[in-house]
Amino acid sequence: MRRSFILAGLAVLAVPGVALAQAPAASSGGWIGPFAVLVAGFAMAFAAGLCALGQGKAVASAVDAMARQPGAAARIQTAMIIGLALIESLAIYVLVVAMILLFVQPIK
Amino acid sequence: MSVIEHPPIFRLPGIPDHVTYTWVVMAILAVAAFVASRHVALVPRGLQNFFEVVLEQFQQLIDDVIGPEGRPFLPLIATLGLFILVGNLLGLVPGMNGPTTNLNTTAACALVVFFSYHYIGVRKQGALTYLKHFMGPVPLALKPLMFVIEIISHLARPLSLTLRLFGNMTGGHILLAIIFFLMGLDGLIGWALSGSPIGAVVGGIGGLVMIVFTVGFLYPLKILVSFLQAFIFVMLTMLYISGAIEEAEHHGGEHHPAHH
Repeated sequence: MRRSFILAGLAVLAVPGVALAQAPAASSGGWIGPFAVLVAGFAMAFAAGLCALGQGKAVASAVDAMARQPGAAARIQTAMIIGLALIESLAIYVLVVAMILLFVQPIK
Repeated sequence: MSVIEHPPIFRLPGIPDHVTYTWVVMAILAVAAFVASRHVALVPRGLQNFFEVVLEQFQQLIDDVIGPEGRPFLPLIATLGLFILVGNLLGLVPGMNGPTTNLNTTAACALVVFFSYHYIGVRKQGALTYLKHFMGPVPLALKPLMFVIEIISHLARPLSLTLRLFGNMTGGHILLAIIFFLMGLDGLIGWALSGSPIGAVVGGIGGLVMIVFTVGFLYPLKILVSFLQAFIFVMLTMLYISGAIEEAEHHGGEHHPAHH
């Protein structure tokens, strides 16, 4: 069952390559362009999901700390926002790489 | 990006758009500062009052993060914060172009931060002492390794400042552009105005839902992100400056209990 899922996933990944192998003149960019689109989408999906896990953990413990120490809520909130920004910047790097793949297309 | 985004309404020939809109931001800030400080009164009114509140917020933040010795850096920090905030918000005005959605503008801001916090650290502690603190409180054998790691981490700071601001702003703009494009606002409104009754009902309702969604949900989100990114840029600037200033005292404080 699992192997068939993997095979189906590989087949989906391979479709643009196959399609372009049949019609090489359709796109001037060759086969890298369609794969770049796929990779950009998957990269954003993984980055967003894992970034959400990390940020969720950070926010959960910050809220926990704020509930225990309501007097220190302002400082905890500042620290939380800085931490969230630092975590989020990793996902932003992936976004930048995805945008480079989509719009700049350094490798043709 | 130029595929899905509209060009701004106001362009100067031969000059890139982000430079033009950087000048727009500078003009807005300069005019506001001029009007606010034209009749400086002891009891502030109007724009002067507003700017005093804003700058007192910045000063409060500096006192919290750096401490009283951070007061001389208020002009640098507040200018960066106001420039980035106005630049972020300008990108939300239809037909305008936010200068912070371009990598060059954010890289310029980050490089200003990078060079100024090193300059502040060297001015405060002297070049040799400042360099010595790159090695950290580790045994002698590990000091060269620590030095290299610290250099890399300091070089990564402007990179991450640049990419964070640029990515957040550009990502938001691409999101807006894609939602406009996918939901077909142009098509829906064109259908509503085409005269056919079904088109008027479907297109009118669809266009209205889209406008309410955009104005009610996406714009507040983007305004929040604009403020948050300006705050984070300023906050990290202050953290870097305080790291450059306080390293000597912090280091001495660590040695003190060890001698007793």
